[in-house]
Amino acid sequence: MKRMIIVLTAVMVVSGFVLASAYTLFLPQIQANRKAALDASLNAIFSGAESPSFEKLDTDQMTIYRASGGGGTTLGYAVNVTASGYGGDIQLLVGLSADLQSITGMQVVEQIETPGLGGRIQEAWFKKQFEGLDPRAQISYVKNTEPDKEKNQIQAISGATISSNAVVTGLNNQLEPAIQIIKQLDK
Amino acid sequence: MAQKSIVSEFAKGLVRENPVFVQVLGMCPTLAVTTSVANGMGMGLATSFVLIFSTLIASLVKRIVPGEVRIPVYAVVIATFVTIADLFMKAYLPPLSQALGPYVPLIVVNCIIMGRVEAYATRNAPGLSLIDALGMGAGFTLSLMILGAVRGALGSGSLFGLSFTPVLVMILPPGAFLTLGILMAVFNAVKDRNSPVMVKA
Repeated sequence: MKRMIIVLTAVMVVSGFVLASAYTLFLPQIQANRKAALDASLNAIFSGAESPSFEKLDTDQMTIYRASGGGGTTLGYAVNVTASGYGGDIQLLVGLSADLQSITGMQVVEQIETPGLGGRIQEAWFKKQFEGLDPRAQISYVKNTEPDKEKNQIQAISGATISSNAVVTGLNNQLEPAIQIIKQLDK
Repeated sequence: MAQKSIVSEFAKGLVRENPVFVQVLGMCPTLAVTTSVANGMGMGLATSFVLIFSTLIASLVKRIVPGEVRIPVYAVVIATFVTIADLFMKAYLPPLSQALGPYVPLIVVNCIIMGRVEAYATRNAPGLSLIDALGMGAGFTLSLMILGAVRGALGSGSLFGLSFTPVLVMILPPGAFLTLGILMAVFNAVKDRNSPVMVKA
């Protein structure tokens, strides 16, 4: 009995110490990876601008970044949208123009969708479809026909309707509140 | 007690007691992540890392740990190594870590590891346990890579430079069961045909 307690306690203490060391050792690199992925997405959305700088808006409700150009002018905003996909949460970054009237870009920061199917939401053609859409109106997806940009439509990925729908639904649900927050804080 | 040769202790994990095709253990990662060779290899190596260190430690401490608490002790040891593997992959192999997603932390419940710890490491010397774990790890990794190769090739529609219409179902979960069933049948047919030779050796 006594030995049992000693052994169990010793095992817990040693493994706790090992885990704490491993965590401390790897954490800086993990955070650097996350930041690099976010920076790459932000820069991809505002690729047209010359050395934009990004600043997180002061709100707890959503993660929103303001992109500023050289003279301090607002180039636009990037909104972090979380969509629930087929394999788990999809983290998206959606660029909005400074007047909040159109989507300037969409990037996938994190996803665990099925490779070759839902994972194709990372492909350039899919992401590019969102450029120029109206963030205030509902976005919808079409299958087998050409999407109509005027009607805020995108083409779904064939065989991956769930993932395509997840992205569209995430944008529809979260862009409108994001726009409200930006208007409150930044206008 | 019969003398165990290092070579046969290692090689049994590859064919005779292959964890996937013969023991049919660790089916969750086997079916879930084998959509490509790279994913299969990543999962196989991560599992091997946990397996090797867990069996080694279990074998080293087997005389100190009282029988009543051996399962909780091994569970903690395994969970510790899994978390280290997960953190390491997140830090230095982010794309692979993303592709494997929740299946890395789930190595904790992989029955190959608890199976080898209980069935082998607690009954054998640390050296032999290490050889056993290396063999089982290699067998698991190779099996996952074969599955990944078949599914990836058929699902993406390109094999040795030849392109054909991709068979989508092979990437999807049903494809994992189809591929595993067929490979298991082939593997066991070949193994049984060769088994008389192995008995003699």
